Amino acid sequence: MQTLSLPVADTTGAPSWLGRLNLSRGVVVTLTVIAVFLPLGLIFYQSFLSAPFFMPVKVFSLDPYRFIFDDPDFRTAFLNGFILATGLALIAVPLGGILAFLMVRTDLPGRNAIAPLLLVPVFVSPMVIGFGYVVSMGPVGFYTLWMKGLLELVGITADPWNVYAFPSIVIIAGLTHVPHVYLYASAALKSLGSDVEEAARVAGASPLQVMRNVSLPMIMPALAYSGVLVFFLGFEVFGLVLVLGDPEGHLVIATYLYKLTNKLGTPSYHLMAAVAVCLVAVTLPLVMVQRWLLKSANKYVAIKGKGSRQKPLPLGGWKWIAIAVISLWLMVTVVIPISGIALRAFVSNWGEGVRLADVLTLQHFKDIWDQPTLMRGILNTVLIGVFGGAIAVVCYCGVAMAMHRKPDGITRLLDYSVLVPRAVPGLLAGLAFLWVFLFVPAVLDNGLKWLVENTGSQVAAWLSENVIPQLRALRSTIFSVWLAYSVVWMAYGLRLITAALLQVGPELEEAARAVGATRSQVTRDVTLPLVRYGLIGAWLMVFLIFEREYSTGVYLLSPGTEVIGAMIVSMWGAGAVDLVAALSFINITLVAIGLAIALRFGVKLHE
Amino acid sequence: MAELSVNDIHLDYGTGAAANQILKGVSMALQRGEVVALLGPSGSGKTTLLRAVAGLESPKAGTITIGERTVYDGARKFEMPAEQRNLGLVFQSYALWPHKSVNDNVGYGLKLRKMSSSDIATRVKDVLGQLGLGQLGERFPHQLSGGQQQRVAIARALVYNPPVILLDEPLSNLDAKLREEARAYLRELIVRLGLSALMVTHDQSEAMAISDRILLLNNGKIEQQGSPQSMYQTPDTLFTAEFMGSNNRMKATVVRREGQQVTLDINGSLLSGTPRGSSFSSDATALIRLEQVKVSDSRGINSLRLPLSTCMYLGDRWECLFHAQGETGVGIRAYTAQRLAPGEYWLDLPPEALWVF
Repeated sequence: MQTLSLPVADTTGAPSWLGRLNLSRGVVVTLTVIAVFLPLGLIFYQSFLSAPFFMPVKVFSLDPYRFIFDDPDFRTAFLNGFILATGLALIAVPLGGILAFLMVRTDLPGRNAIAPLLLVPVFVSPMVIGFGYVVSMGPVGFYTLWMKGLLELVGITADPWNVYAFPSIVIIAGLTHVPHVYLYASAALKSLGSDVEEAARVAGASPLQVMRNVSLPMIMPALAYSGVLVFFLGFEVFGLVLVLGDPEGHLVIATYLYKLTNKLGTPSYHLMAAVAVCLVAVTLPLVMVQRWLLKSANKYVAIKGKGSRQKPLPLGGWKWIAIAVISLWLMVTVVIPISGIALRAFVSNWGEGVRLADVLTLQHFKDIWDQPTLMRGILNTVLIGVFGGAIAVVCYCGVAMAMHRKPDGITRLLDYSVLVPRAVPGLLAGLAFLWVFLFVPAVLDNGLKWLVENTGSQVAAWLSENVIPQLRALRSTIFSVWLAYSVVWMAYGLRLITAALLQVGPELEEAARAVGATRSQVTRDVTLPLVRYGLIGAWLMVFLIFEREYSTGVYLLSPGTEVIGAMIVSMWGAGAVDLVAALSFINITLVAIGLAIALRFGVKLHE
Repeated sequence: MAELSVNDIHLDYGTGAAANQILKGVSMALQRGEVVALLGPSGSGKTTLLRAVAGLESPKAGTITIGERTVYDGARKFEMPAEQRNLGLVFQSYALWPHKSVNDNVGYGLKLRKMSSSDIATRVKDVLGQLGLGQLGERFPHQLSGGQQQRVAIARALVYNPPVILLDEPLSNLDAKLREEARAYLRELIVRLGLSALMVTHDQSEAMAISDRILLLNNGKIEQQGSPQSMYQTPDTLFTAEFMGSNNRMKATVVRREGQQVTLDINGSLLSGTPRGSSFSSDATALIRLEQVKVSDSRGINSLRLPLSTCMYLGDRWECLFHAQGETGVGIRAYTAQRLAPGEYWLDLPPEALWVF
């Protein structure tokens, strides 16, 4: 019998393919590990020095730790951080669970319309939200004054509330973190069959009892996970406390760190590093616990009701209570702060006895238009979201592909490495990257100079004169901010991409391998084309996150690297309320545009 | 008196132009101590009817009454929520709560009925004992076998003595071997406890074995109802006849009709058969159960001669396939005690068993 003769894959060629593949994987792994561990290592190193690393006189010592442990402010800040994180979790977890149950499992009217609104606090910078509470519910805020007016009508003369008190801050932080719990709880509830709930209904349970006895207990692993997540996020809270805690002097660790800059007058990098190490010592274990919980949560999903068809639970009379709960939460968490900012951006001043119609103005936006720094900041923010987001997605994709279906030691290394930046709050990450951009060129330059002196190397001299200044200049370009953003959000971005990659059935890739494609050809011809919509979705999500980011840019802020988030922080410090309001409004608009596009194209806002 | 009566229930999925009619006017009654099977192919609306009785689907029109209580009345727009209907429902998937032990799964309905915890413990122990699960109370659902899980699901539905117990494909989640044992067990349990039960199934032998009465649903309507024997032996429609047993179906031309006897032309042979159903044209369908066909070497009174195609061994007997020459030729299957040698055989089709529709 005549067989069709086909060119057999050249076996001698295979090692070269393999070699190329391992090379590209090696580059990805090396760059990732450097980007993750260099900044963190630098913080660690700095925390054990007696003076900032650029000072000529410095020794290894524990003085920085001694100083901060002796500082009563640090102790208060640490305790406050703990209370804030605990209170926040206690508020956010039950509310998030209830919200998820109502949105996913019941016939609540209008839930499709509400769904995007629930995510607003996730995508609007906490700095902006905090500012929103100041202008809405501060002592002379819009809502405070209106409420005061109402109270006076019934004969009471008193301040209705005090948002600057620490309990208020905890409540606000709790309410704004509800969506984080909601996201995980709703994903878990979606994979739960309706039959277990129907069984409880038939046994005689009311909707409330179904939720308390069946639905929420069954997603306990997801709730535990999100509980640890929000507890951890509670330790990272910066913007809210910076804005709301300032008037009464409430500090948490992140704001203590920020204030430390001005505390001693001189740059006190060693103290900041010590604070940073203390903070990471709390957050890193929490991140590891989260990882462990997420794994066990995924195992738990296997045990679930088998009924695949989901039928919403009729709420009956409970409907009105449910609507009231959700409306109240939306009012306090979304409507009040956002509307406050929108109003404040268009009034020249506000206070008791001011009539709204008299003070309406567009002056703040004209002021922004006239200031090149602010315009550059806005442009930078858009660029870093659109192009920076796209480049970040490409980088995340490279990392994800280096880990995709290759269960080996390198994958595990990457797996843990990308979690580490998660434990570093944005403020710290920005600081660490500032140090990297100061420290690395300096060290390299010293090395090269030493080479020139000792060996007279021409190459080293050329490098020292031409490349090192370029490296130094990087710090004042938007690249530095982009790099910090990309590393800080690496774990998040990777989760988006691996979620998309998991949608591709392994047999599709195996089929390509079976017909003779190499690993890299499989990636190019099968995997990536199949996940392209997932990648576009990831790009949009990264855009939203980069627009929202504020704390990472704070220490990197210099002429040329302005972004809206960091500028709001610095202008808030300078007391430029009008410009902060206008910039916040622009920031919210950018996020809203991104959200609208995401919704238009049906991007899943839940991972 | 009727424990459960369903009257002219209409139910749609979706609304407006996209509405998909699932139930198109179904009525039925369930007497005390009676077991009724809702039988039908997938998409016939049998599970939907059961869920409508349980309060898990909302009908569009009709009434549902449990004992003295009206739980649904389309005209008055009254619909009692599922949790107030006091019914027991056994799910196809069992829907045991994985985070509760067997005791807590079974006792949950009693807890909701505000029974004291010592009374709950006693009652749960009783019910688990009745179902042969006495030692398993502390276990969790995932530590039980499929059959045990099913019995826990039944115990959970029985524990608060509901007037009617609803079973949604109770056996379909078991292995084929276990299913036969469970069938006998379930029938015995229902009789022993004197339950009134409504059971959904797509398996006619399961329906016939367990129930006192069968309701055959087809495309949202009741095709025929009656005792298992009458459904099997005297079907009114072709659909019922085909659904209830294993059949030979043949194209036939009616030559002559005389009262309760019809002369047919099947594949060129003249045979007599019994008319069933109300009307048929000259191009009729003839149907005979496999077990009614007798294979012999000699010609009988109502016989067809066909060559043997192949035989299949079924363990207790053989199933032989006879097939006329050519693509369109008639094919008949029959049971035989022994394997047959190749060749042509006479197939005797008794006139009273050869139904014409």
